Amino acid sequence: MVNLLWMDVIHVNFIKRAGLTLVAKKGRTALLVLVTTAIMLFVLAGLLIRNAANTATATAKANVGATLTLSQNRAAAFKTMRSSSQSGSKPTLTQTPVKLSLAKQIARIQHVASYAVTVTTSANASGFDAITTRGTTGGFGGRGPATTSGDITISGVTSTASATAFNQKTASITQGRGLTKADANSHNVVIESELAKQNSLSVGDTIKLKATTGSKATTTLTIVGIYKAKSTSTGMPGESDPANTVYTGYGLANQVKGSKYVNTADNVTFTVSAPSQVAAVKKAAKQLINTSKYSITSDDQNYQLVKSSMATVSGFANKIVWLVAIAGTIILALIVILMIRERRHEIGVLLALGEARWKIIGQFLTELFVVLLVGIGLAAAGGKVVGDQLAQQVVATQTTQSATTGQFGRPGGPSGQGKQLPGGGQQTAKTNQAAKQTKLATHVTVQALALLFALGLGIILVAILIAAAGILRLQPKNVLIE
Amino acid sequence: MLTTKGLGYWYANPEDYLFKDVNLHFDAGVMTAIVGQSGAGKTTMLSLLAGLDKPRAGTIAFRDEDIAKLGLTNFRRHHVSTIFQAYNLFTYMSARQNLLTAMAITQSAHRGDADYANQMLGKLGLTAAQMRQTVARLSGGQQQRVAIARSMVCDAELVVADEPTGNLDEANTQAVVDLFRQLAQDLGKAVIIVTHEEAVAAQCDAVLRLASRTVSWERQPSR
Ligand SMILES: Nc1ncnc2c1ncn2[C@@H]1O[C@H](COP(=O)(O)OP(=O)(O)OP(=O)(O)O)[C@@H](O)[C@H]1O
Ligand SMILES: [Mg+2]
Repeated sequence: MVNLLWMDVIHVNFIKRAGLTLVAKKGRTALLVLVTTAIMLFVLAGLLIRNAANTATATAKANVGATLTLSQNRAAAFKTMRSSSQSGSKPTLTQTPVKLSLAKQIARIQHVASYAVTVTTSANASGFDAITTRGTTGGFGGRGPATTSGDITISGVTSTASATAFNQKTASITQGRGLTKADANSHNVVIESELAKQNSLSVGDTIKLKATTGSKATTTLTIVGIYKAKSTSTGMPGESDPANTVYTGYGLANQVKGSKYVNTADNVTFTVSAPSQVAAVKKAAKQLINTSKYSITSDDQNYQLVKSSMATVSGFANKIVWLVAIAGTIILALIVILMIRERRHEIGVLLALGEARWKIIGQFLTELFVVLLVGIGLAAAGGKVVGDQLAQQVVATQTTQSATTGQFGRPGGPSGQGKQLPGGGQQTAKTNQAAKQTKLATHVTVQALALLFALGLGIILVAILIAAAGILRLQPKNVLIE
Repeated sequence: MLTTKGLGYWYANPEDYLFKDVNLHFDAGVMTAIVGQSGAGKTTMLSLLAGLDKPRAGTIAFRDEDIAKLGLTNFRRHHVSTIFQAYNLFTYMSARQNLLTAMAITQSAHRGDADYANQMLGKLGLTAAQMRQTVARLSGGQQQRVAIARSMVCDAELVVADEPTGNLDEANTQAVVDLFRQLAQDLGKAVIIVTHEEAVAAQCDAVLRLASRTVSWERQPSR
């Protein structure tokens, strides 16, 4: 028992000396803490950004592929059009709307939770004015597959809640109500607030729309709700002002479009109960459809974008961690080498008293270890602030880059253009916006601190190892006897 | 206790040796003075005897065991205690902490005993306030006495000192010489003191002179 205590005293002695030194040389200790804190702060910031990027990717992945979209196989349709134009006949793009019966069939596949129908067409305002400020009408054609344009875009939906704009929160109902399943064939309409304001329309009023296709009949609709669109026109030629989009039930939209469109849709979006089931549902759906006419796609565009941009962020963060760790090791090693030179006399006295060299190295290591703990503590306190700032910078730079790629990096050439979905550019712009909105929230976690501690320990160990040569070479006589 | 065999030392080249083929014996209970002109090699000789440096030629044996085999660090820790011309204290520690640190490193029987450290510092004329004081704030003479106290709290059987009274007044010099005498006579240690003070040398049991590359007994230790 007594022996054990003595052993403790012997081995703990250099640790006690380390403490004495740290307290006695406050200035030096403060300087060491400052340098270590700075190094730890940047390493931690890097770790936090990396974690945040990984979390963002995981979140995007979790949100991905919950939907599948059934639409006409446009690539195949364009191919047919081109080959027919080569054979001399007049090129026509065959419109093959999706039959609702097919949608119902697919909806019966296991794990399909619900489906939403979208029918897009256009009509002319009758007795009221469409918004013209941004050059709405023209020969370019409106949005969607309508071949003849009107100044009002009709978006026929299963319900407004399932419509993309409302889904992605770029539009919201401000007055009245949205459309539900029950409105499929009703004459109810939801219009944009600017259109309502310009024409002094409010909930309960009626508007008239004159079809530009089919029977070219005029339909009277009752306003049941007014929505506000957040997105404004991107000013692209031929793009209709978003405020001119009205929402109706898909049945009514089909009536306006023409009698041959009854019980069809431009596209149908299926919601799958679990993202992990999407691939299986897609496979099953493909068996039901004629793939040369229709295509079924999972919407992981957003995920792919977030994934690639976060991979860049994460890679950048990794570089920060390694660069700072390496630079920090070199800086600390230099400081320790200088410190050992400055303390040659003290080391000489210890050696003269018969202290083992490893215990002297142990004393320096203990001193740095205490400094490291304080440094990590301070870094943990300031890490979130620095991490958030850095993350903001990184994401800003990153999304600018990816947006540029999105706009100019598309495959060029006429055939490439042909394959591009109408409105595809807009789609990319929207997705980019989503990526830009991906806020990197950094959190100082126990795991991050544990990793930081491990890295910090590695840094001081390597620094001491480099500097220890000075202690191992030192001859007490040379420093103690002048 | 300590025996040199064919001991030789030089700094730059062997022709300019300070001494060579030195055969000496230092016994327990004997206080020996090393005298000689400045630059004769007294400090150099002492550093060899204290295990701070390796001889260029010959061997040093402690209780018939080659100190090179014993390991110089081990030899310094357990068997020899050195008092330097330049004190060589831990300047940022108090006098007492200096003693406690040395006691811990040398694994002295009294390690951890602050009272024992105080007692020894008191014997050397330091006040309670001076014991707590950072040694950097003590005078040269006070620091020298702390250095002597440090060597005394360690249990080494061999005590070597380089000009231990160099910075002391007559009264303190006599007190220190008396302490060294006690170490040799009462505790049976071998004490070796480098000194240029006739009065100190006169009180030693033996006197070794270093002069013109020769080492000789001016006064032989009485057997
Ligand atoms: N590290 C060294 N390198 C080269 N020469 C040295 C070194 N140390 C001492 N010398 C030389 O060795 C000789 C002996 O030095 P030493 O210090 O042993 O003398 P000393 O007898 O102790 O002198 P003093 O009475 O002045 O203390 C001197 O000529 C000195 O110049
Ligand atoms: Mg000397």
